[in-house]
Amino acid sequence: MAEFVDRLDLKRRLAAAASSPVVFSIFFAFALGVVIVAVTGGDPWNAYGEMFTGAVAGSGLRNTLARAIPIIGMALAVSVAFRSGVINLGGEGQMVFGGLAGTVVAIYTPGPGFLVVPLALIAGAVAGAFWALLPALGQTRLRLPILITSLLLNYVARAITGYLVRFPLADVSVTLATTKQVPETARMPKMPIFGGVSLSLVLVVLLVAVAAVVYRRSVVGYETRMAGLNGRFARYGGIDVERQTVGVMAVAGAIGGAVGTHLIIGDALRFIEGELVLGGLAWTGLLVSLLAANRPVLILLAGLLFSGLQIGGLGMQRNANVSWRLAQVLQAVVIIAVASRLTVWRGKRREAADVEAEVTAEAAHVGEV
Amino acid sequence: MFSQLFDSALLDSAVRAMIPILLAALGGMICERAGVFQIALEGMMLAGAFAAVGGSYLGESWVLGVVFGIVAGVGISLLLAFGTVSRRGDAIVLGIAINLFAFGITGFLLPQIFGVRGVFQHARIDGLDRLAIPGLSEIPVIGPVLFTNTVTAYAAFLLVPGLWFFLFRTPIGLRLRGVGERPVAAETLGVSPTKYRYWAVIASGALSGLAGAQLALGNVVQFAENMSSGRGWVAVVAVMLGRAHPVGVLGASVLFAFAEALGFRLQGNGLPVQVTDALPFVVTLIALVVARKRFARLLDLTTAAG
Repeated sequence: MAEFVDRLDLKRRLAAAASSPVVFSIFFAFALGVVIVAVTGGDPWNAYGEMFTGAVAGSGLRNTLARAIPIIGMALAVSVAFRSGVINLGGEGQMVFGGLAGTVVAIYTPGPGFLVVPLALIAGAVAGAFWALLPALGQTRLRLPILITSLLLNYVARAITGYLVRFPLADVSVTLATTKQVPETARMPKMPIFGGVSLSLVLVVLLVAVAAVVYRRSVVGYETRMAGLNGRFARYGGIDVERQTVGVMAVAGAIGGAVGTHLIIGDALRFIEGELVLGGLAWTGLLVSLLAANRPVLILLAGLLFSGLQIGGLGMQRNANVSWRLAQVLQAVVIIAVASRLTVWRGKRREAADVEAEVTAEAAHVGEV
Repeated sequence: MFSQLFDSALLDSAVRAMIPILLAALGGMICERAGVFQIALEGMMLAGAFAAVGGSYLGESWVLGVVFGIVAGVGISLLLAFGTVSRRGDAIVLGIAINLFAFGITGFLLPQIFGVRGVFQHARIDGLDRLAIPGLSEIPVIGPVLFTNTVTAYAAFLLVPGLWFFLFRTPIGLRLRGVGERPVAAETLGVSPTKYRYWAVIASGALSGLAGAQLALGNVVQFAENMSSGRGWVAVVAVMLGRAHPVGVLGASVLFAFAEALGFRLQGNGLPVQVTDALPFVVTLIALVVARKRFARLLDLTTAAG
């Protein structure tokens, strides 16, 4: 036993984790949060207490798990692209566009749930992939940077879906611009754990597992990673980077579209104009993927953390009168701190590249410890 | 039909739509010239808009509002400068995170300070005055539109030739461009890239903050959550399309502003708001496709960086 513990080298790993920029950045963000709350007239300790309680107590745990589903899903979608060096900022548009397609299939396809629900998810994935292919082909065929086009298309997707649910797909019996309600048979089933969590949780965990295997153990995973690390080298090594860009964008968009579909058939039940983008889920997913350095298992942890922050934030808003948007501030600060390589002072001799290699290596340790 | 669509009212709303985009884009242009990839314009503009409303409310004067807007833009820009220049962090990651930070902090402060959600309007908020320039303002059609305007608008107009002169006719401008194009050579000649890049980012923060002030105190007199609504990203595209040249940036800003103004007008003519909202972004995308040969450099930057 002692030998085993020695081999794990827990002491060194814990020390590494504690001095890791990621862990430090999280503490830094929370410390800054104390200042922000105090300056704006709140009681930071009470606020954090309510935040923690809100995230885990009562229905908190269920809500945290429920919100983690789309966050982890969108983070995986981002990681697929980012690790291949494709800067896809269009997750929101892909989620919304695919989400509406999936919703339409769920509402208007007759048949039993075990057929309609998968069909809706597939339809959402196909539509999301289509929306992601526009910027992908724009880059490979027209040399337009995906970074810009995918982002601009978010606003276009918002407008198109808004138009569709206000006019052709509108439920005229209500005043909102919304689709009809998803019929009971076409809804994502809930599992009888923690008071009812959508079955999508299982799907998203499976997706994490698949991503973990594909990233680490497959040829595609290797090739995409090479392209992300050094595009020129990958091309020299015979990888068709253009085809790969189209491929990873399609996968990213498909995941986004499926997540969007889940958000309606597993949660909201109606596609209301503008509602899907309100919580900034796609952007939270992006931050989660950045925090986890695109690693699937770490995405699971970081996704739960950020989900807990947001759900806890709602509790904090209710009981401590401090806006839940503090959660979004903390998330962004964590990433700013990580990207700025904020860490405890360890001497000047380490080169920047050294530190960068450590960020990923130590992030892996955090997950294993 | 056409005479109904194109009149001085349309011109007026196009000018108003142009000023925030142009101001932010000119800031982005300075960064581009100094070799800093600047995509945080959206967030700095939003923070500027919030602070401008806060300052105007506090002092019941738009002057204080403008000052607050600039200070907020600069404050946020320092985060980016520290991260990218001093710590050599990834400019894309930092830019995105800073945009989300601005979105979060303005959404947080709105209920915490002003006790409202969504939109903050108040009689104490003083909008930007439109100041007529004697003589020029009497020119038919363009006089009332261009020369009876806000200080932020005049700043934008003057900065186009001003920045051209600065970049291409002054030693400091030459060094700034040198830092962007050949940082190692610049450093060898005793020009500090760090210093120039800091000032470039700070300038873009000030200009984006000013853009936010125009948005919140000029175009309307209120703060609405996420009110920059993509204009900072349109400004990023304006820098690309205008090849980081003041005149090109002005041209691109005019194009996008007309799309926005036309959208408003068509909305009045019965087109659904969803369609007209998308118009500036569709026009931006089309402009990108048409002018696509121009920005190979950005593509290399965003694909090779990874």
